[in-house]
Amino acid sequence: MILTGKALPRRTFLRGMGTAVALPFLDAMSPALASTKTSKGPVRMAFVYVPNGIDMRYWNPDYEGPLAALPRILKPLEPFRQDITLLSNLTHNNGRALLDGAGDHGRCCGSYLTGLQPKKSFTDIKAGISCDQIVANQAGKQTRFPSLEAGLEDARQAGDCDSGYSCAYTNNLAWRSETQPLPPILNPRAMFERLFGADAHLTPEAREQRNRLRRTILDFVSEDTRRLQASLGPTDKRKLDEYLSSIREIERQIEKAEKDNARIDPGMDKPYGVPADFAEHFKLMTDMITVAFRTDMTRIVTFLVTREGTSRSYREIGIADGHHPLTHHRNDPVMMEKVAQINSYHVKQFAAWVEKLKSIQEGDSTLLDNSMIVYGAGLSDGNRHTHDDLPTLIAGRAGGAIKPGRRIVYRRETPMSNLFLTMMDTMGVRVEHFGDSTGRLEGLDLS
Amino acid sequence: MQFPGQGKPPAGIIFDADMGNTIDDALALALLYGFDGKKEARVVSVSTTKSNLKSAAFCEAVGRFYAGAVSGAFGSFSRTLPVGLDDGGKMAEDTPMLTGPLSKTAPDGTPVYQHGIRKLTDTAEPGALIRNAFTAQHDQNCIVILAGPATNLVKALSVPGAKDLISRKVRYLVFADSPAEFHLKPDVAGAKKLFAEWPTPIFAAGDELGRELAFPGASIEKDFAWSQAHPVADAYRAYRTMPYDAPSWAMAAALYAVRPQEGYFKLSEPGTITVSDDGRLKLAPSSGGKHRYLVFDPAQKERILKTYTEVASAKPVPRLPRFRPQQQQQAAPPKPPVKE
Repeated sequence: MILTGKALPRRTFLRGMGTAVALPFLDAMSPALASTKTSKGPVRMAFVYVPNGIDMRYWNPDYEGPLAALPRILKPLEPFRQDITLLSNLTHNNGRALLDGAGDHGRCCGSYLTGLQPKKSFTDIKAGISCDQIVANQAGKQTRFPSLEAGLEDARQAGDCDSGYSCAYTNNLAWRSETQPLPPILNPRAMFERLFGADAHLTPEAREQRNRLRRTILDFVSEDTRRLQASLGPTDKRKLDEYLSSIREIERQIEKAEKDNARIDPGMDKPYGVPADFAEHFKLMTDMITVAFRTDMTRIVTFLVTREGTSRSYREIGIADGHHPLTHHRNDPVMMEKVAQINSYHVKQFAAWVEKLKSIQEGDSTLLDNSMIVYGAGLSDGNRHTHDDLPTLIAGRAGGAIKPGRRIVYRRETPMSNLFLTMMDTMGVRVEHFGDSTGRLEGLDLS
Repeated sequence: MQFPGQGKPPAGIIFDADMGNTIDDALALALLYGFDGKKEARVVSVSTTKSNLKSAAFCEAVGRFYAGAVSGAFGSFSRTLPVGLDDGGKMAEDTPMLTGPLSKTAPDGTPVYQHGIRKLTDTAEPGALIRNAFTAQHDQNCIVILAGPATNLVKALSVPGAKDLISRKVRYLVFADSPAEFHLKPDVAGAKKLFAEWPTPIFAAGDELGRELAFPGASIEKDFAWSQAHPVADAYRAYRTMPYDAPSWAMAAALYAVRPQEGYFKLSEPGTITVSDDGRLKLAPSSGGKHRYLVFDPAQKERILKTYTEVASAKPVPRLPRFRPQQQQQAAPPKPPVKE
């Protein structure tokens, strides 16, 4: 790293011993080292997907327009209701059976970001390039990683996961091509090493050396860090300290998870290094995504919270039944209550991430302001497998392209693909048609 | 919803009308649901070009009636179809055939005919709705009936990829002509585009066909009397002072659409239909033309009227969803308790 009187490059890394640590947005990255309050970061786009639909009775408010009291499932987002936009009546027609019979879970996830009906097969998979990857192919060239794919459960890519639909459909959101899904990274350590390794991963030698010396990744770049700190103003110094502390905290959590795994029985097989606790796993992944966004390592993320059709239980909140069996509740109020609790639990984790993004300043705005994070599902009613009025919200303002704090109700059958087409526009990628789109989605910016 | 191994279902019917302007549209919808009950057709999409929420609400109320909402003879297993509504402002005025049945109340003050349409967002954008209906049909197993301005079908035609989809899925379109002020004049440009670009054969039921085949008003009090409340019968009574017989433009189109093989109508020579600037159809004969007129055959009049009254007044028949065998039918979940 060589410092000059010019602005610090946006993509500056702290380097040392096979390690490269990206930096957050600093004032010094503005022209002429000026402490500018008007600069703002790039727009980030993310998709957070939850499986098995949502109990819409507790998701949809009974009003349109400015958000007031939020329904039960959305309650955790109450402090951020001026930062979210609820969208109603969006439909994924290609998630429906059409002529392909059973398999709504496979179809709804396979079509979610591709907008196309996936081919019913578990050997000859075919969907379409997903909207995140269309953006990644163009806007992604500006960042170290065109996109990141994260998840918390089950990376199987083969086999029949739903009535003849491949696990590739239920276990992936991002599709690089019509036959090539991008599996999510489930293991926090793998994600950490992808983000902070010199290349995709540390070399085995470097990892061995680090483990032997029990040093943190920050030790490898300490010399570069000292040089940089000497050239920064007090605000940037504080930002850098906070940022490096957050990386160390992530490392500490991963180490803790690895230790915990040795003595906690999570009730299921998990890869080494994955926290047994769902909330902790969620937080760890979103912490790393936050760092990746903050440092402009990537602007595009897909996050498959758990695989579509999952039968995961949630013992953390006292629910031993599988999620999917619960959603086929036959209107049993006890089962329906548990579904609502799982839905709320997911939103609670998401709200914590929103809070974190909102706490990070970028010039005059926040990281949340410069993001558009879709939270939603490919089914609305998980009991009846409906594909209309999909639960959909966007957190963030997309750098001003979205005016949040509202519930917008569109006409029935409005394609979800219209939203994705509009989001691609916002990312600077103009596509005339996507999936089953019929046009752009109006009303997001009040213009 | 269809599943493999269950055979090809009856043709899917896409019905688009200016519901509320002339009573034949309501009768045609009853006729189509009657054919649906006989498993001769399936009503898969209903939309209206009359830009009035009551127009869509009436369509939904009729759909619910045939799903058993009024008779109570069987449960409603699935939600009714979304109703497409053109929001362009054409012909938006209330009419008695809409306000009559929709304002009818039971002794306890509740509406006799329930519907869920209170605002525009309770209706569907017609282009997407109709396109989506095409996607769910087997190839060449879909029939389109237009008994109103071409506006909604042109929207569907303009959706990316729709023209190829229509070519693949649709057997033919049947257009019900009527006094031009209702079906052609409100959107002459749309009609021109439709006849010029629609990729399948088109059969046009001319104005005279509907007039020659007037639906017998006496049937309303006789054949529809099995139900104390019938939305189509109530619409008929509200439309005009009883008794009267009603021209059957849309019914004729619907009858041919579902039973083309029955010889109810003669066919003109093939050709190409164009639309004049003042909203009139003109057929230019040509051997390779895709368009034909349906021609009135006096010998078939009694047979047609008998079919009209029998099928349109048929009792609803529950149509079980084609779920996979193991899956139970599920009603909508109960509403959450209201906090005190």
